[in-house]
Amino acid sequence: MSPRAWLVTYLIAVVATTFVHEPALLGATLAVALAAAGGGRWKLLRRTLVAILVFNLTVSLGYIAVALWHGDFNPDYLLLVNLRVLLLVFLGMWFAARIDPIAAVSGVSPSLTFVATLTLGQLRSFERIVSDFALAFASRNPAPPRLIDRAHHAAAQGIALMDKTMAAATESALAMRSRGAFDD
Amino acid sequence: MHIPDGFLSPQTYLPAYAVAAGAWAWAAHGLRDRLDETTVPRLAMLTALAYGLGLVMVPVPGGTSGHMLGIALLALIFGVRLAFLSYSLVLLIQALLFGAGGITALPINALAIGLVGATTAVAIKWLLARINETAAVAIAAWLSVMLPGAIVAVALGIQPLIAHQPDGTPLFFPFALEITLPAVLIPHLAIGVGEAVLTVLIWRYAKSRKWCA
Repeated sequence: MSPRAWLVTYLIAVVATTFVHEPALLGATLAVALAAAGGGRWKLLRRTLVAILVFNLTVSLGYIAVALWHGDFNPDYLLLVNLRVLLLVFLGMWFAARIDPIAAVSGVSPSLTFVATLTLGQLRSFERIVSDFALAFASRNPAPPRLIDRAHHAAAQGIALMDKTMAAATESALAMRSRGAFDD
Repeated sequence: MHIPDGFLSPQTYLPAYAVAAGAWAWAAHGLRDRLDETTVPRLAMLTALAYGLGLVMVPVPGGTSGHMLGIALLALIFGVRLAFLSYSLVLLIQALLFGAGGITALPINALAIGLVGATTAVAIKWLLARINETAAVAIAAWLSVMLPGAIVAVALGIQPLIAHQPDGTPLFFPFALEITLPAVLIPHLAIGVGEAVLTVLIWRYAKSRKWCA
C-alpha cells in the first residue's frame, strides 16, 4: 500500500474504534492488530504502554476513587476506556513505525511539508543539544543544584538552543533555496 | 495540557474537525507567499522549541497533563496564523511519533492551544503593550495557558453528559466539569507562570535579534 493508503486506512480504523463500546470487540481488534503488526509488535506494544501508562493510571485511579465514593463503580468502564486508548495509541505507533507520516501527507500542502521536514531536522538537533547540556550540568553539580542555578542553566540553554538551531535551520533553508525550493 | 486519544467522543471530535479544517484553511491561505528563506528557519526552530517544551508532561488528576506550550512565543513572533499552523504540526508529530495527544483529540487540542492560545497572546500583548511591554508579554503568555486550559477542561468535562450508557456509565472521559475545571486550571496557574517567565526571556532575546514580525 502507498503511504497515502496507509494514512486513510489508519484514520478509518481510528474513527471506527471510537464507535465501538464493547470491551470484547476492542480486545479482539487489538489482538488482530498485534498479529498483523509483525515482528516488531512487542516493541510497539511496550512503547504504547509506556506512552499511556501514567495518564491512564491517573484517570483509572481517579475514576475508581470517585465512583466508589458515589457508589456507582463499573469495572466494565475501566476495561472499555483502557482498551480503547491502548488500541488507538497502538494503531498510531504502528502507523508511524510503518510509514513516514511526512510522506503520507506530502501531497496535502507542499509548503507545510517543507516546514515539517525542516522542523523534524530541528528536533534532532534540539534533542542532541538538550542531552549535551543535561550531561554538562550534571557533571558540574555533584550536589543538588539550587533553584537559581537551575533557572540560570535553563536560560543559558534556551539561548544556546536558539542560536544553534537558528544557524542550522538557516543553513538548511539557504541550501534548499540554492536548489530552487523557494522558486515558483 | 492536551487531551490524549480515546477520551473524546465522536460527537465531540468530528464536529471539532470540521471547525478546525476551516481554521487550518484560513491559516494556510497564502502561506507560500509568507514563507521565505528568513521566515522558514525561524518558524521551524520555534516549532521545534514548542515541541521540546511539550515533551515534558506531568499528569494532572482530573484527566489531563501539564507542560509548557510555547504558543505565546510563536504567536508574538510569527502572528496567529503561523503559530496556529506550527502548533498543529507539533501536536501531529507528538501524536504520531510519541503517542502523546492523539488523532481524535487533535482538533480540540489545536483549536484550544494553537488558535485560542495564539489569539489570546497577540490580543493581550496588543492591549497592554502601551503600559508595559514586558508585563504585557508575561500576562499574554500566562493567559495563553489558562484559556486553552479552560477549553480543554470543558471539552473533557462535558463527555459524561454527551456520551454515556443508558444507566449513566460514561463511555469516554468519566469526570464532569466540577472535577475537570479545577483539576486542569489549578495546576496551570503555576505552569502559566513558568510559561510567562520563559516566554519573556526568549521573546526579549528574539526582539534583540529583530526576529519579531
